[in-house]
Amino acid sequence: MSEPIFGVVGLFRSADELLAAIAEVKAKGQTALEAYTPYPVHGIDEALDLPKSKLAVLVFLIGSLACVSAFAFEWWTSTVGYPLRTAGKPYNGWQGWVLVMVEATILFSTFTAGVGMLFAFNKLPFFGHPMLPSRSMTGVTRDRFALVVRSANGVMDVDAATRALVAAGAESIEVVPVLDDRKPGVAWWLRTAFAIAAASVVAGYGTAWAIKVYPTVKPMVNMQVQPRLDAQAADPFFANGRGMQLPPTGTVARGYMPILAATPEDAGTALVNPLPITAQVLARGRLVFNLHCAVCHDRLGTGKPWLDSTYQAQPVDLQSSPMRSARDGYLYWVISQGIRTMPGYAADISQDDRWAVVRYIRALQRSQNAPTRDLK
Amino acid sequence: MSASREPVSPVRDSAPGSTMHRPPAVLWALLAVGAAGVAGTYVLQSAQRFWANWLLWFVFMACLGLGALFVVALQHVTGASWSVPLRRAPERIAALVPWLVPVGLVALLSLPVLFAWTRPGAASAPTIALKASWLNYPFFVTRLVICVGLWVLSYRLLVGGSVRQDLTRDPAATVRLRRFAPVFMILLALTLTAFAFDWVSSLEAGWYSDIFGVYLFAGAVTSALAATSLVVIYLYRRGRLPGVTADHLYNLGGLLFGFTIFWGYIAFSQYLLQWYANLPEEIFWFQQRTTGSMEAVFILLGIGHFFVPFLALIRRADKMNWRRLRWVSVWMLFMEAVDVFWLVSPVQGKGLHLGWPELAFAIFFLSAGLLIVRRALHMGEDVPVGDPFLADGLKFHLR
Repeated sequence: MSEPIFGVVGLFRSADELLAAIAEVKAKGQTALEAYTPYPVHGIDEALDLPKSKLAVLVFLIGSLACVSAFAFEWWTSTVGYPLRTAGKPYNGWQGWVLVMVEATILFSTFTAGVGMLFAFNKLPFFGHPMLPSRSMTGVTRDRFALVVRSANGVMDVDAATRALVAAGAESIEVVPVLDDRKPGVAWWLRTAFAIAAASVVAGYGTAWAIKVYPTVKPMVNMQVQPRLDAQAADPFFANGRGMQLPPTGTVARGYMPILAATPEDAGTALVNPLPITAQVLARGRLVFNLHCAVCHDRLGTGKPWLDSTYQAQPVDLQSSPMRSARDGYLYWVISQGIRTMPGYAADISQDDRWAVVRYIRALQRSQNAPTRDLK
Repeated sequence: MSASREPVSPVRDSAPGSTMHRPPAVLWALLAVGAAGVAGTYVLQSAQRFWANWLLWFVFMACLGLGALFVVALQHVTGASWSVPLRRAPERIAALVPWLVPVGLVALLSLPVLFAWTRPGAASAPTIALKASWLNYPFFVTRLVICVGLWVLSYRLLVGGSVRQDLTRDPAATVRLRRFAPVFMILLALTLTAFAFDWVSSLEAGWYSDIFGVYLFAGAVTSALAATSLVVIYLYRRGRLPGVTADHLYNLGGLLFGFTIFWGYIAFSQYLLQWYANLPEEIFWFQQRTTGSMEAVFILLGIGHFFVPFLALIRRADKMNWRRLRWVSVWMLFMEAVDVFWLVSPVQGKGLHLGWPELAFAIFFLSAGLLIVRRALHMGEDVPVGDPFLADGLKFHLR
C-alpha cells in the first residue's frame, strides 16, 4: 500500500439493491460502511446503524434557556429595575411577558437548529471530501447509489472489500484515495492575503466610483417626489419665486385674535368674555384648569402649589379679593401673556379654552365665597 | 426494521364475528349507576346543577364527535395515505354524532334555567338588547336543528360512504369523499362557531370573544385525536390493525402534539387580549373563571392542557411509544372535560361546583359513549378495506 485509502466504493442501481447490499456486506464482516444516495432513502439510517442526532437535545436546552432568560429579563426590568405602572397592570403581570418568552424561545431554537446543524454537527466549513473528485460521485449525483467500505486510518484490505461488494451486486468498483490534507504553506497564505487585499481595493474604489457617477440612486421613490410647495424653499410657481406666500395684510387666523391691550388693566376694560355661561363651558374650563393651572394655583385656586418647598415662586391666590374683583379681560391677559414668574400660556391653551378657564375661575371663586342665597 | 416498529403480540379479544360482541356487564352497570346519580342530581340537588352538567356533557360530546369527523375529513382533504389504515378509528368515534340529536333536544330544556337572556327583562341590559335578534327562542332552536341536522348528514356522507366502500370496493367513493370533505370543513367552521356562541358564550350573554369558536374547535380536535389514538392503540394491541407500525402512531402523536400547541396558542391569545384590554364588558367572564375557587381549575387547565402534553410528546420516541401515547390521550380527554367544566360550570355562580353529581354525570356519559363507540367498533371492518390507498398507507414509514 503506497497511498492512504479512503475506502472502496461500489455502485448500485436502486435504493432496494443498496439496502440489500448493506445487509449482505455487513454479513461478510465489513462494518465500517457509508452510503451516498441521490435522495433520502427510507430505512437507511437503521440499516447503517447510524446513531440518533443529538441536535434535538441541543435545540431543547437552548430553547428552554432562552425562555427562562426572557422571563428573567422581563421580570427584572418590570419589577426590580424599572417598576412602572402601565395601564393599571401589576408590575409582575406575567401575561404580557409570555409573548416575548415565546418569541425568544422560537428565535433561539431556530438559530440553534440551523447553526448547530451546519457548524457543530455537519462540521462546516468543509473544503473538500475524498468522495467529491471520485468517478462514482458523478453517478450518485444522477441515478446511482454508492456503498463505501471505509478504511481504518487509510489502511484496509481492498480485495476483501471488493469481493464483498461484487458479491452483493455492485455494478462497478472504485478505490478512492484520501484527500491531500497537508497544511497550507507560506505561498498559499501569501496568495490568499493578496487576493483579499486586491478584492478589498477593487470593491472600495468601485463603490466610491459608483457613488460619484450615480449619486443618489433611489430604488423606491414612492412619495418622496410629489408636486407640492415645500416650506422655506424656492419655487418657480409664484411670481416672486418663493414657495411660501405672505397672507393679505390684516389677516387674522381663526382662534388667534391678537391682544392689542398693553397691560392687563387695559385688557380688563377692553375685552369681554365671548363665551356663554353653560355647563359645557364650565366643564371644559375645569378640565383645562386642572391640567395646566392647578399644579401651581391648586384645584381650588388658593395658590398653594402641589410642588415641594424647593419651588420658590408664590402663585397668586385666586380666591383673594383683588383677584375676585379683577375683570375677565385682566385674567385672560395674564393667562395669555404671563406675569412675574408665571409664563404665558397662549401657545399651549387655545383662545376659547383660555376664556373657558376664566369662566371656571369665576365659578371657583363663587364656590369658596358663596353668598347666603346660594346656600339655601 | 427494529423490533419496536412491529405490532406487539396480539391479545385475543374479540375479532369481528366472535361471540364477544356483547359489551362487558360492567359498562352497563356503570351506566345504571351513572343514570341513578343523574336522576338523583335533579331530585336531591337543584335543576340548575342538573342542567349545567347536562350542558357540559352535551358540549363535550359534540366536541368529541365533531372533532372526530374533522379528523376524518382532514385525511380526505389532504389526500393523506398514511392515515388510511387508521381512519376507521375516528369514523367509529364519530358514531357519537347521531346521539347529539336526543342529547341536544333535551338540552333545550336548560334554556330557561341557565341562560339569563331567556328571562323577561334581560333585554334591559344594552349589550344583550343588541343581541336580541340572534338570541331569541325561535332562532336559537332553528339554529340547533340546522346545526345538528347538518352534522348528522355529514356523518352519514363521510362515515357511511366509507363503510359502504368496504362492500362495493368502488374507488370512485374515495373521490366523492375527497370532494365532500372540504365542503364539510366549511360547514363545520360555521356551525361549530354558531354552536359555541349559542351554547357556551351566551351563558353570559353580555360577554363576547370573536375567537371563541376557534377555541372550542381547538379543544374538539385535540380531544378527538386523543380518542382516536386510544382506539387505534386498542385495536393495534389486539392485532386488529395488521401492518400498522409505530411510524403510524408517530404521525398520530404528532397531530395530537400539534393541536395541543394550537389550543394553547388560541387559549392564551383569547386570555391575553382580554386581560390587556381589561374592558368591563369582557373581563368579568375571565374574573369568574380565574379568581376564587376557579383559579385552581384555570391553573390546572394551563398546565395540564398545554405543558403536560407538550413535554410528554416532544421527543420522536415519545410519539412512537404506545404506552406514553395512551396515557397522554387519557389525560387529554380528562383535560377536555376540565376545559368544558371551566367554561360552563361558573354559570351556577361563585364557588367550585364539584361533587358527586359531577362524578355521576361523568360516569353516565363516559359509559354511554364507550358503549356507543364499542358497538360501532364491532360492526364491519377495522380498516377501510375498499380504499384504494390502503396498501399505500400500510407501506408508510418515516425513515
